[in-house]
Amino acid sequence: MKAETHKVARLHAMLWGIFSLGGMIAAFLLPVLIYMTAIAYPYSLWPFNGARDPSFLVTGHLLGALFIFVTIAGSLYHGIFRFQSALTEVGLLKYRRALEAVGYFIIFVGIIVLAYYLVTWYLNGTIT
Amino acid sequence: MEDNKRYPELRRRLSPGWWTANRHYTMYMVREWTSLFVALYSLIFIYGLSLWAMGSRADFLNFLKNPAIVGFSLIALVFTMYHAATWFYLLGAVAPVKIGRSRTKPWQALVLNLILLVIISYLAIWLLVLR
Amino acid sequence: MSQDIATIRVTRYRPEKDAKPFFQEYKVPYRHDMVVLDALNYIKAEIDGSLTYRWSCRMGVCGSCGANIDGEPKLTCASFLHEFKGRTITVEPMTHFPVIKDLVVDMQDFMEKLVKIKPWIIREKETPPEQGEYKQSAKELERYSQFSSCINCMLCYAACPIYGLNEKFLGPAATALAYRYIEDSRDQGKEVRFPIVHEMEGAWECTLVGECSVVCPKGVDPMLAIQKTKILGATNAIKSLLMPRGGR
Repeated sequence: MKAETHKVARLHAMLWGIFSLGGMIAAFLLPVLIYMTAIAYPYSLWPFNGARDPSFLVTGHLLGALFIFVTIAGSLYHGIFRFQSALTEVGLLKYRRALEAVGYFIIFVGIIVLAYYLVTWYLNGTIT
Repeated sequence: MEDNKRYPELRRRLSPGWWTANRHYTMYMVREWTSLFVALYSLIFIYGLSLWAMGSRADFLNFLKNPAIVGFSLIALVFTMYHAATWFYLLGAVAPVKIGRSRTKPWQALVLNLILLVIISYLAIWLLVLR
Repeated sequence: MSQDIATIRVTRYRPEKDAKPFFQEYKVPYRHDMVVLDALNYIKAEIDGSLTYRWSCRMGVCGSCGANIDGEPKLTCASFLHEFKGRTITVEPMTHFPVIKDLVVDMQDFMEKLVKIKPWIIREKETPPEQGEYKQSAKELERYSQFSSCINCMLCYAACPIYGLNEKFLGPAATALAYRYIEDSRDQGKEVRFPIVHEMEGAWECTLVGECSVVCPKGVDPMLAIQKTKILGATNAIKSLLMPRGGR
């Protein structure tokens, strides 16, 4: 018998941990965000039936900005990670490496861009 | 171990459409593809913010009122809710809680977490918008 | 006792004669208490002695007689003929495995995986039997007992599309058995087993299709075991990041 070599996929284990956390975020926080931006705001329903609009959600206070960052970044990570894996299950297994690379690229760029806007707005005082 | 395959190997390979073979597989694949909508909504939101960052706040708000975006977001909401429900169900399946001698069932986790989702959603609105 | 006639469509494949497998149909008279395995035995004894399949205990203990019945992985000894009344019953070899003949599949891959996870209690230092057994409380037993019911029938592998797509995946039964030892309070082999279940083709491949737990004839929940294994892997990884030395 040949010698066994097993290597713990430590990086993947951590990425999976983030993926799971993202799943929690997408399940518990994303629905209310979509409700607010896609139903409440365009149709002037509660809570956007008064003076406030979704921009208040982003820049109204630090907590709102944090909510946006956590919800969007977590959902993006979870969604992309899972979708690229689903694609490998419908005949694209041989392109796995490429799918992973593209997936992580989208996640990385998306989160950096999101963080950049929020940090900029925080630093220039748009977020109060 | 010695290799004694004298005949060509016969193995039924999965076709890309394997998930149509039974209802469980189909439900599974639907569940996995909901993640596409979760991801797309996130990307669209980031794009909306970029309109704001490179233009004005009104650009962002107009973008949110764009019928195409509203329409897509509504579909995304349906799939996100489906994603949430299946996630809660799986939570119950992989992390059953022991109460006395019995273990909680996945559907109990589903119901409990849906209630929790409503509470969290209300709290989020109250904390982030109404306060 | 009343008798019905069952129509059974069985996969035939004789590699020395046939280029491709084909279905052969048999009519089998049956009583209410007969199962698919009884029908196969009837065919072999009364109609066609060349039909080949595995079986042994005919009571759901040995795990030899698995097949895809109407597309679903099942033990032929636990599938009653009367449940299919009025329909043709299709019996095929378990999916995802190479077929040797008719319903007999090559189990080598699974056997290798079974050995790979070291399905025995590992101790840092063995104590001689005279010093008594390694004791365990009922509570400690309960943590893993369901995962020790596996009979190696491989139905979970036949049900797992992830294994079907990528045979390198360690798969449901082997991971569940590894978890059974990881959770066993008498076992001290975590350091040896973690790398096996936490390597790339270990537990991580699983995407919670959940069909393994649906088809298991012994009520084992491999999906649960794999998920718990992943959680252990993620916590270990984060621990080793926070505490690079020791920690685990």
